Amino acid sequence: MKIFFASLRLCTILTFLVNFSFGQETTLLLKNGHVIDPKNNIDAVMDIAISFDKIIKVAPNIPAANAIRVIDLSGKYVTPGLIDMHVHVFAGNNLDDYIANAPTSVMPDGFTFRSGVTTVVDAGSAGWRNFPLFKAQTIDKAQTRVLALLNIVGHGMKSRFHEQDITDMDPVMTSLMITKQYPDLLVGIKSAHYWGGFTQVDKAVEAGILANVPVMVDFGEHTPTNSIESLFMQHLRPGDIFTHTYSYGPKVRETVVDESGKVKPFVFKAQQRGIVFDVGHGGGAFSWIQAIPAIQQGFFPNVISTDLHTQSMNGGMKDLCNVLSKFMAMGMSLKEVISRSTWAPAQVIHREQLGHLSVGSEADIAVFSIKEGKFGFLDIRNTKLDATKKLETELTIRAGKVVWDLNGLSAPKWNEK
Amino acid sequence: MNKFLILLAVFFYAFYGYAQPYDLLLKNGRLIDPKNRINNKMDIAIKDGKVARVHNSISPNQSKKSIDIKGLIVCPGFIDLHTHVFVGSDTEKFANGINSISPDDFTLRAGITTVVDAGTSGWKNFPLFKSQVIDKSKTRILAFLNIAGNGMTGNAMQEDLLEMNVDSALACMKTHSEHIVGVKIGHFEKQDWAPFDRAIDLSNKAKTPLFVECHLPGYTLEEQLAKMRPGDIITHTFEKVKERASIIDENGIVRPYVLNAKNKGILFDLGHGGAGFWFSEAIPALRQGFAPNSFGTDMHRFSINAGMKDMLNVMSKFMALGLSMEDVIARATWFPATGIKRSELGNLSEGVVADIAVLSRRKGKFGYIDAGGNKVYGNSKLEAELTIKNGIVVWDLNGLNAKEFSIK
Repeated sequence: MKIFFASLRLCTILTFLVNFSFGQETTLLLKNGHVIDPKNNIDAVMDIAISFDKIIKVAPNIPAANAIRVIDLSGKYVTPGLIDMHVHVFAGNNLDDYIANAPTSVMPDGFTFRSGVTTVVDAGSAGWRNFPLFKAQTIDKAQTRVLALLNIVGHGMKSRFHEQDITDMDPVMTSLMITKQYPDLLVGIKSAHYWGGFTQVDKAVEAGILANVPVMVDFGEHTPTNSIESLFMQHLRPGDIFTHTYSYGPKVRETVVDESGKVKPFVFKAQQRGIVFDVGHGGGAFSWIQAIPAIQQGFFPNVISTDLHTQSMNGGMKDLCNVLSKFMAMGMSLKEVISRSTWAPAQVIHREQLGHLSVGSEADIAVFSIKEGKFGFLDIRNTKLDATKKLETELTIRAGKVVWDLNGLSAPKWNEK
Repeated sequence: MNKFLILLAVFFYAFYGYAQPYDLLLKNGRLIDPKNRINNKMDIAIKDGKVARVHNSISPNQSKKSIDIKGLIVCPGFIDLHTHVFVGSDTEKFANGINSISPDDFTLRAGITTVVDAGTSGWKNFPLFKSQVIDKSKTRILAFLNIAGNGMTGNAMQEDLLEMNVDSALACMKTHSEHIVGVKIGHFEKQDWAPFDRAIDLSNKAKTPLFVECHLPGYTLEEQLAKMRPGDIITHTFEKVKERASIIDENGIVRPYVLNAKNKGILFDLGHGGAGFWFSEAIPALRQGFAPNSFGTDMHRFSINAGMKDMLNVMSKFMALGLSMEDVIARATWFPATGIKRSELGNLSEGVVADIAVLSRRKGKFGYIDAGGNKVYGNSKLEAELTIKNGIVVWDLNGLNAKEFSIK
């Protein structure tokens, strides 16, 4: 017994010593990078000290002497790890199905870190019936933080046919799975690919009210088209999300820019009302003919996202870094595009602990360089916009660990002994 | 009158067809086609998914579409000789599991048009691999068939001699000869030589090469190489792991039995992977004139974000280590094509399938990492501008194949 107490005391002392000397130990110091942290209004050269998985200091000229590892980021831009708010990552073996546990989804880690993304939000690939499988198969195994919008359809995006089944759109089961089963992973609700009127959106909003989470709507594939003014002003709540903002397929989806190239007046009003406009680039949902006039007239997206899946990954979309570069090519600043892929989506999905570099937050960080040259960016109609700048992801850090290092910034030079 | 109209239509059609016989023309690029020993400015015309003509000047009038690739390099689409692409839902495995990766995610953007899966499947699950991945992918997928009946499924099953059935595997190889190009042995931890001998027996019967991965700690490297036949392939050339001797000895010299094996005609594949590439092995080896025959990336879940990244990064790394661009392109195209006895691939002779990569060579200061976390610097880096598979553009980095956007 005496020995037990003695050892307990020793433990306490040791713990104290460890805390004192190592608790704030800088395991990684990022020096001399230009930090862009929209939440904290930082846009300046700063150092960032990390202790294990947390950020412990952001300041100019943090001494390198006490840090275990130092990476010099002179000439590079340092931002919070990007949040891609619209992806499809429920990859699986149901070959005849569409996105849920099926081949149109991709596995996240191959696309995220190489473009500076540390968090993705799966946009309704799974519904309440198959979300547990999605979690076991993908979310629990991914290095990327994977959050999700739960589809209002119980089977999720199994097939277009299943997505029409009103009897499988259950607001109660959907909201219970969010609030009772997986509140840490589920951040909202998705409504998509519905051929009828407003029924599906209304059920999604009903579930959104029950669970107190936002709803994201992909409002296409209606013939004739449904009114987006009605969607924004009557059916959605402030904080709900309209995705595929710059899609151009006027026969099946009402556009935000009219045929004369003017942003429809109610679109500005909707944004003022709090409707969140998401890019959701995808394989068919981004056209210069919508985006360029919109940006010129001051209608910016609230969130820039990819809609990553197998039909978008090798087309005009490519990855989030490429999509951000496109918006820079249209005239937005680096700060404006970073804000829309970090702090803005974090707030939209009510995950205010993400998307910034405040002291105490998890060290999810991206480092970019800006390539200068002659670049062309494609839309989904295979027309291109020329540009002279393009973002490239140098380094991605997830929970304090380097998970992508394009040019070996974190590596020592090889030396022949 | 009707007859006259039809005749007229036929005449115009024939004339039109004559005037524009090609579907796509790549103009003004620098062609590097190692098989045909071409390394200069050439135009390439494509028709019906095939290379129709290679000539130093082909008029754009002769093609429905023409892309100016002045300043860029054009070469056969790459062949990645070592991949794991039997992707599926099993959360613990390579075979039908998430440790494999989906090929199209990583190939087209790196100029690869053909991958060879390195024994992720065996005779029992190759049909599933085919229906689930091979038949669904844009990338051409070939395979080495694992001597283990279920491929890469973890130790217990991989080591089961009862599943290593030569007759069943041979039947599978004959049925799927379009896709299966050889036999693989790897991941066997006992000292019994039966699996290795059966793999050689199967290779003899199928008249294909044997692909030897490592993770065979029961066999010495010298014994493995002694058993291998000319034309067989060993991978993870520059590996430095406990379970296999490295090819470099303590004094930094390529081991004599390794050189002998190379001289005998055994092919050394890179097999970069997550742990298979070390500067401490590669740099001395290259200085002694020992380069890998092919640049198998060993792409899988654990290598894609590490020092490997993609095949172009691996090729650029070898340029940083001193190989020329022409040399790395040969080792990414014609060398692996002959290694797997697919001489219709890896070249741009007239008549072959139009699998083509168009590359730019970026200048700057680039870093390349090995499995030990060390880096070397290089002053150039290859990037895939366009990838063409069966004559169709499947990757277009900067819109070379696109029209300029304009608001009317």
